[in-house]
Amino acid sequence: MKNNKNIWIGEKDLTQQEEFLNELDQEKSLMNLESTADSLPSMKGNRRDFLKVMGFGIGAATIAAGCDIPVKRAIPYVVKPDTIVPGVANYYASTYVNGGDYCSVLVKTREGRPIKIEGNISSNVTKGGTSARTQASVLSLYDTNRYREPQKSNEGVFGSMTWSELDKMVMDALSSSASIKLLSNTIMSPMTFKAIEDFKAKYPNVELVSYDPVSFHGALTANEKSFGERVMPDYRFDKADYIVSFGADFLGTWLSPIEFAKDYASKRVMKNSKNAKMSRHVQVESHMSMTGSNADNRILVKPSEQGAAIAQLYNSVVGGSAPTSGLNEKAKEALTKVAQQLKQNAGKSIVVSASNNVDEQLMVNAINQALSNYGNTMMMASASLQRTGDDAKLMSLIKEMNAGSVSTLVVLDCNPAYDCAYSSDFVKGLSKVKTKVAVSYSANETSVLCDLVAPKHHYLESWGDAMPKKGSYSLIQPTIAPLFSTRQTEETLLRWAGVDMSSDEQPMYSYLTNNWKNSLFASQSKYLSFDNFINNTLHDGVFMSAPGSELSYSEAGINFSNVTKPANSELEVSFFETIAQGNGEYSNNPWLMEMSDPVARTSWGNYLAIPVHFDGYNKMVGLNDLDDGDLVNITINGKELTVAVVKQFGQMPGTVALALGYGRTEAGDCGTGIGVDVNPFTNQNGNTSYYSADVQLGSSLGKEKHYSCVQYHHTYGVKALDNDGNMVNADEQALGMAYGQAGYQGALTDRSVVYTTNLKDLGEEVEKVQEKRKDAQFLNSKQIYRGFDAKYENGHHWGMHVDLNACIGCGACTVACMAENNVPVVGKKEVSRHHEMAWLRIDRYFYGELENPNTVYHPMMCQHCDNAPCENVCPVNATSHSTEGLNQMTYNRCVGTRYCANNCPYKVRRFNWLDYTTADIFPVNQPTLNGEKTPFGADDLTRMVLNPDVTVRVRGVIEKCSFCVQRLQEGKLTAKKEGRKLRDADVKSACQTACPTGAITFGDFNNKGDVLDTKLQSDLNYIALEEINVRSSVTYTIKVNNRDESITA
Amino acid sequence: MSVHVSPIREPLVTGHKTYHQITEDLVSPTEKMPNLSWVIGFIISLTLLTFGLFCIFWTIWVGIGTWDLNRTIGWGWDITNFVWWIGIGHAGTLISAILLLFRQKWRTGVNRAAEAMTIFAVICAAIFPGIHVGRAWVVFYFFPYPNTRGPIWPNFNSPLLWDVFAISTYFTVSLLFWYTGLVPDFATVRDRAKGLRNKIYNTLSFGWKGSAKHWQRWESLSLVLAGLATPLVLSVHTIVSFDFATSVIPGWHTTIFPPYFVAGAIFSGFAMVLTLMLVTRKVLNLEDYITIEHIESMNKVILLTGTIVGIAYLTELFIAWYSQYPYEQFAFFNRAVGPYWWSYFGMMFCNVITPQLFWKKSWRRNITLTFFLSILINIGMWFERFVIIATTLARDYLPSSWSYYSPTWVEIGIFVGTIGIFFTLYLLFTRVAPVVAIAEIKAILKSSGDQYVGKNATHHDEH
Repeated sequence: MKNNKNIWIGEKDLTQQEEFLNELDQEKSLMNLESTADSLPSMKGNRRDFLKVMGFGIGAATIAAGCDIPVKRAIPYVVKPDTIVPGVANYYASTYVNGGDYCSVLVKTREGRPIKIEGNISSNVTKGGTSARTQASVLSLYDTNRYREPQKSNEGVFGSMTWSELDKMVMDALSSSASIKLLSNTIMSPMTFKAIEDFKAKYPNVELVSYDPVSFHGALTANEKSFGERVMPDYRFDKADYIVSFGADFLGTWLSPIEFAKDYASKRVMKNSKNAKMSRHVQVESHMSMTGSNADNRILVKPSEQGAAIAQLYNSVVGGSAPTSGLNEKAKEALTKVAQQLKQNAGKSIVVSASNNVDEQLMVNAINQALSNYGNTMMMASASLQRTGDDAKLMSLIKEMNAGSVSTLVVLDCNPAYDCAYSSDFVKGLSKVKTKVAVSYSANETSVLCDLVAPKHHYLESWGDAMPKKGSYSLIQPTIAPLFSTRQTEETLLRWAGVDMSSDEQPMYSYLTNNWKNSLFASQSKYLSFDNFINNTLHDGVFMSAPGSELSYSEAGINFSNVTKPANSELEVSFFETIAQGNGEYSNNPWLMEMSDPVARTSWGNYLAIPVHFDGYNKMVGLNDLDDGDLVNITINGKELTVAVVKQFGQMPGTVALALGYGRTEAGDCGTGIGVDVNPFTNQNGNTSYYSADVQLGSSLGKEKHYSCVQYHHTYGVKALDNDGNMVNADEQALGMAYGQAGYQGALTDRSVVYTTNLKDLGEEVEKVQEKRKDAQFLNSKQIYRGFDAKYENGHHWGMHVDLNACIGCGACTVACMAENNVPVVGKKEVSRHHEMAWLRIDRYFYGELENPNTVYHPMMCQHCDNAPCENVCPVNATSHSTEGLNQMTYNRCVGTRYCANNCPYKVRRFNWLDYTTADIFPVNQPTLNGEKTPFGADDLTRMVLNPDVTVRVRGVIEKCSFCVQRLQEGKLTAKKEGRKLRDADVKSACQTACPTGAITFGDFNNKGDVLDTKLQSDLNYIALEEINVRSSVTYTIKVNNRDESITA
Repeated sequence: MSVHVSPIREPLVTGHKTYHQITEDLVSPTEKMPNLSWVIGFIISLTLLTFGLFCIFWTIWVGIGTWDLNRTIGWGWDITNFVWWIGIGHAGTLISAILLLFRQKWRTGVNRAAEAMTIFAVICAAIFPGIHVGRAWVVFYFFPYPNTRGPIWPNFNSPLLWDVFAISTYFTVSLLFWYTGLVPDFATVRDRAKGLRNKIYNTLSFGWKGSAKHWQRWESLSLVLAGLATPLVLSVHTIVSFDFATSVIPGWHTTIFPPYFVAGAIFSGFAMVLTLMLVTRKVLNLEDYITIEHIESMNKVILLTGTIVGIAYLTELFIAWYSQYPYEQFAFFNRAVGPYWWSYFGMMFCNVITPQLFWKKSWRRNITLTFFLSILINIGMWFERFVIIATTLARDYLPSSWSYYSPTWVEIGIFVGTIGIFFTLYLLFTRVAPVVAIAEIKAILKSSGDQYVGKNATHHDEH
């Protein structure tokens, strides 16, 4: 750009003297040398260049700034598929399967993308119910950490490769392998088994090994001895009047919780107080499990006493001399009483145990046999196949691996390097395996140690089937085309087996249907043509065939010396599975990570549950004087961990408990490094048992930085002994004049929030509550705005009924609500600051005896008050009442004064403190969940899960439960299009459809005689805080327990 | 000025001042270079102000999440500070309006500064409703202006909206009142000034000439404004108290709040006037105009209002017990012995015990003690608002939702920043306007100057 013609440096330059020119050249070459030495571009340029560049820069910036922000246009279909109407959801029946977890589901898709999971009422297993895990499974489809293409490890660093490269490498390895092992969790898919058979046909030296992350080996082995098959019975809690559970969390995590919850609840609910009946449920445990929290009586035994406790019951029911020494006297006495009551309920009872000890399980089988429960409440013909893992096989596999005799190991989407008791041995052995292939969904502790990774589909992208119980089948169908270059497990196996699938567009569909054609189609007579059969089954999602034959019980010799002997140690720790995390399978699901634990109400980490006692004066004291959120050193089996504690009411003195499934090291952005891993402590002499008696607990090391617990006050009038030995209301006693020491346990408890009673006092309680209601209604009728309610007598008037006797606290509704309503996840720090955004929460209160309390779960969402205190205080009319009795939020109008939230007596309003939805233009205020690079939801993949019918809220506005107003609109339209009156069944809120027990009923108050109206006739009903005249639209029922007061343990 | 003054009245202007001396004493601070203490004070105030503005910017930029409020406690330091500042403003209005109507001559020594304080306090207060919201950029939704959204009007049922009107009215009337008083004084400053300064003050004084007609109109306007402002003394804090009283939250939902808040506001306002004036009179050598007599009078007001506040506290406790309503009872248990017991204790000590010391005359007239106690009262009244707002919200109906709250550096920064704003404005005020109303002091000189009344009087009333 330089123009030197008219510019000269002095006379010498002007006259072009040679001497000068040489000098100039030298200088130039020197400059060149300098510029080549310096890697930076030389900053040559003169004033004019500067001006030119500046001019261009300013001009360009001006033009660029004047441009429109690129508009992303939604382009209509050129040829619209018949089945897709924009704005109208399609539902497809499918099945959620993850290891042993099973749920028959309907998948809601909008414009071709799955956004919500609903239960399938056609299923005879899950009966329309769902679990939190099922609800959250749709989010994992859009997991940013999932594998997107095949991976190859190069010294532990993974790089991408193509499928053909991978297939070639794997097939080369397989064909030269002397011993091939497939390792998986429980498989309940006939199609997968078929694929493995086909795989075996090609490679004869293949063995399949299955295990379960939380072992059922003991029970399965015992059943094998008693019945000849490694299966679990089909428990029928709907037929059981008396339930004894030895540590089995059958409502939360154990075997088939959705199914059990439904059946269990049917024996717990009552229409009204007249002739009310309910089952009795006794839970024998040390840690308050979710199932235990629903029990009428809890018999407290230390984890190591479980065997002796079973033995005690065995002796009393079956008659025998199983060793019970070391069992605490209270439990002995209580179990003797329980045995008597069980005998009275023979054939109408269930005894279950989570023990992993074969001989203890054999005793349980013998007890059930003696009570003639088999064939009545426990069916072997329709036995459950939801857990079939075999620890013995796993151990021999690990031995072989360590011996170096396994040449190829294919890990089928399981994570033994983390979630089995022998993980350290497994990891050691893995290094001796020549070829290690992981068929995996996302990176985990095992897949990162493998050589090759074959990424697998999400179940929402796959074809498949499942057989959770003998005679019950269900189909899995894809609801979206594969998002990434992944392949479903069966296809991967078949391709490695050399099956040619190149000519088939949907090879797995063909494979599945062929399989069904040959087996199930032949077994039925309803459909004549196969197409008809498979299309109908796909539509329904499920298929029932005749169950298997009844298995007969045969007495197996019980070796009593193998029954666990109670340890004589001061402190024991038990390890338990949580609803949200399993044994770590769900760590990378933010919805589940953020979901507060039903019992502890904590999230984002496993907290050591410690027992609490009342000091007789004004304090609820934790073990070792520890308080909520204190960090503490705990030494288990000689290894020291640092964990934060939570004071757990109902935790047996002398025991503590810590959840499995945390402390993962390879679990993606959300799950890595949250909590501590306790799996290494579960191996005891080759038997997986979920406790340790070798525990020392230190004292407080200070507070955890972000103690994330959403509830600080836990009790509702618990009774305990005061210093004078009198039984007092500890909550009210704790209000004593001791400045500041009362802390959070201390309250006046005569509140109209929840009412609880024993079944035998139900009549009295109903009278008391009705009396209180009458008083409140009288006062409310004296208001100055009379005739106010007349408004809602015409048209719709939406309302809800929540049956506290049906609610087991499982939290499926809370996750469903997050999914339906685009509720953001906020992360550990924000939860610790009580910034959680859940529109629906389940409050949990303990009542009764402080050291062995009962529990009431209280689902709390916006009550849609017809005299709403939030509405009149909003200065800008951002929250208002609809003509149908809904309390509406107008996000666009909301300024964010939070006055409405302050004035909400139910504290259900949530404020967007920061940019939780990552919707702001400037990403300066997006909190991260776990220190990840891109905040959760800031990427397009995660945002695919958003429900397009619900606004994503911006920072600074209030939000809250809308009674799923988008569903109401849809229901109204349906009724209108069909030219009929709306029925309650047309409008179901997300929480209602998610609930496995039917605790939530939504409907129209004005539909007399319909579902909601029927529920409102019960004399157990009450309205929370009725006396403050806010006119809530949500009705609750009195919580009834069937505690036997004479059982004290 | 031949009004009869009782011989037992203490003089309100001491030092045998002449009219000229008064002018010299009161105008000179605006004419001299500021002294070192002023400069240091100004730098500190300006620093705090800057930090406060940064914290406000941070709040708006990042979000209310920079504060530690939570799902249970939606208001904390923000509204506590708001109510506190509004309360402080009340003394100025009381002095200028009600005491004017009651012809209390001692008001003249302090009314100018007190009114200035009112305005600055209201400015500080008005910041909080604007920035405590989640979306500060749409606060204009508060105002009832014609718009294209329907039009949507604000919700006239909402006490927050009443606040908007109450505070804007209050600010307007207070500003008018203050400025009206300043007009003749600005003229006095102008008369002594030359050049540009003369022009500026001439404009500020609206060309005041001091004619009889001017004085007559000025007197009438003052009276009219006093009449307007008098109900405001009662109404503003009454409406602020409605923010709480009209709610359903136990501890807020109470009919005692309006009088209790008004008494509290005057109480805290006088405490702040004392804090300021005790420093001002010392620094600007105004001991002859703000005498012990003035201080004692204000201490008497503090004693009265402090006692009213104390009775209100005890009444609340009594009603909680008497109502036998568990939520109300628990709300007060919670205040006294709950996790925030220290703030209740601080409030009770500072607001109930402290003012009772003023029953003793010598203590009322003790400057050191008065200064110390006035600070305590300011703290106590801040605690009162904190107790009412944060403590009440922390634990209401549903035990499941109880929570705890402590402020972040941003919240503390904003509070400190408003103190910076307040003092920056006040210090500037002392440099541009006479801190004591010259015209009004001159008006009472003949009836309350120490050469006319009291022990050392040399001119005696002939009547």
